[in-house]
Amino acid sequence: MHLETHPFDQEELMAFLDGELAVDRAAAVVSHLDGCQDCQKLAADFRGVSRQLAGWQVEQSGPALANSISAALDTHPGQSRGKLGFLLRRQTWAWAGGLCAAVLIGTVVIAPRLDKQHKLAQSVAFLKAENDGAFQIRDSNASTILETLRSPMIVRTVQLTIAVKDFAKTRSTVDEILKRHKGYIGQSNVSSPVDSGPVLEATLRVPSDQFEAAMAELKALGRVDSESQSGDEVTQQYVDVAARLANARNSEQRLTDLLRERTGKLVDVLAVEKEIERVRGEIERMEAERKNLAKSVDFATLNVKLFEEYRAGFQTPRSKSFRLRNAAIEGYRMTVESVTGAAAFLLAYGPSVLFWSAILFFPVRFIWRRLRHHLLNSL
Amino acid sequence: MISDETLMLEFQRGSRPAFEELFARYKEPLSGFFRRRLASTEVAEDLTQETFMAVIRASERYQPKALFRTYLYSIALNLLTAERRKLARNAPLANGTVENAADSVFWVREALQKLEPSDREILMLREYEQLSYLEIGELLHIPINTVRSRLFRSRMALKGHLEPAREGVQCT
Repeated sequence: MHLETHPFDQEELMAFLDGELAVDRAAAVVSHLDGCQDCQKLAADFRGVSRQLAGWQVEQSGPALANSISAALDTHPGQSRGKLGFLLRRQTWAWAGGLCAAVLIGTVVIAPRLDKQHKLAQSVAFLKAENDGAFQIRDSNASTILETLRSPMIVRTVQLTIAVKDFAKTRSTVDEILKRHKGYIGQSNVSSPVDSGPVLEATLRVPSDQFEAAMAELKALGRVDSESQSGDEVTQQYVDVAARLANARNSEQRLTDLLRERTGKLVDVLAVEKEIERVRGEIERMEAERKNLAKSVDFATLNVKLFEEYRAGFQTPRSKSFRLRNAAIEGYRMTVESVTGAAAFLLAYGPSVLFWSAILFFPVRFIWRRLRHHLLNSL
Repeated sequence: MISDETLMLEFQRGSRPAFEELFARYKEPLSGFFRRRLASTEVAEDLTQETFMAVIRASERYQPKALFRTYLYSIALNLLTAERRKLARNAPLANGTVENAADSVFWVREALQKLEPSDREILMLREYEQLSYLEIGELLHIPINTVRSRLFRSRMALKGHLEPAREGVQCT
């Protein structure tokens, strides 16, 4: 078999039959095998050898083997220690010693943080219990989540309406405030209604740690017409997403390992790959959800409405010549409109009126004459 | 289905049913491993038992670095090597029941016997123990490409050895 005529060598064909070829390569072999008699014959030879080897079956082991293993298990130290057997293991004592040392260091060094850590641990434990069976938070994942959640995660939202005296000046001041506090405008809209001053409606995003300062400066821009604040705690939601994400990543890793280490039929490999693809989709979705949550916590939202206090203006009366000119123009426009309308009517209905008049003229005249003659005779 | 590695870890923590499950999974494959490689069924039975005993004894030191199957067969292979060393360098394949075996099985054994010992081992690990190329490479400490090329060589050679036998059977 030559590579010039076959896209793979004989060893690859053998590896394909053993389920040891990469999926893309295996797909190429499958399509080639359909139309190549040489390769089909070689594949049949390999299968024939395997079939002949499979014919060599050996007797099953006797019950003595099971009995001896059972006896060995009875005397195995791990079994004979009973419920308190773990106390005899050196590993147990090593772990216990390490734990004591950790507790001692923890008490002395990080005592002030204990209360906060405890609350967070409780939160994670609660979530673990709540989602029992659906996922498991590995120790490393839990500690990572705990690290992230040094304080409760709160999404802050403020509605603020301020009446200002100088709109143009205030608008530039808002930009300065945002720049100073590293915030940004999420959305803004300026309008100038009739009989009212200009209005700015904007959604401002300010880092949570700068939130109070930015709020104070915004309120100083004018008279606060209305103000409302809300805070949604999303700690549990965040821990939930983070834990599910960690679990999905573990699943992905296990599937990848399985694909790498185990061999099997092509359909099995494809099934594993499909599962990996599904898990990766889940991971991407959860990662986006986690980032959105984190971002909504990191940046507070301020829905601000700024409007200039309304000042009624004096209206100048219109001149008579201006009114006459407008009336003349309006009269001319109406004349042109009426002539155009009449012409359009004649053009639209004239031909059909003429047509029916021509057809009905003689019958109507004949009937009219007969009627007139009959009336005259009756007199 | 619980993986072998998980079962072994459970046994490490003291779960007897976990090991009984492992024993049920590998009792026959391991027994077949020794029976096809050794002439004496008694010795094969002893070595099967000894392999499981070794797993039990070493359970506290077990770490799931590799597949449990690879771990189990590496113990079995070491015991087999030691046994062969005791008997002779090139011990014949199991022939205790050759007289009673069917013709096809006889020719398979004969054909396998004609292969190079290292090639034969790779072929048998693949065909009878169903190990992957990677697992065979880890067991025999050879690269995966070497496994593939030797496996190919041994299959082609075996096909050549079995052809005359098949023709002979057909003639008679």
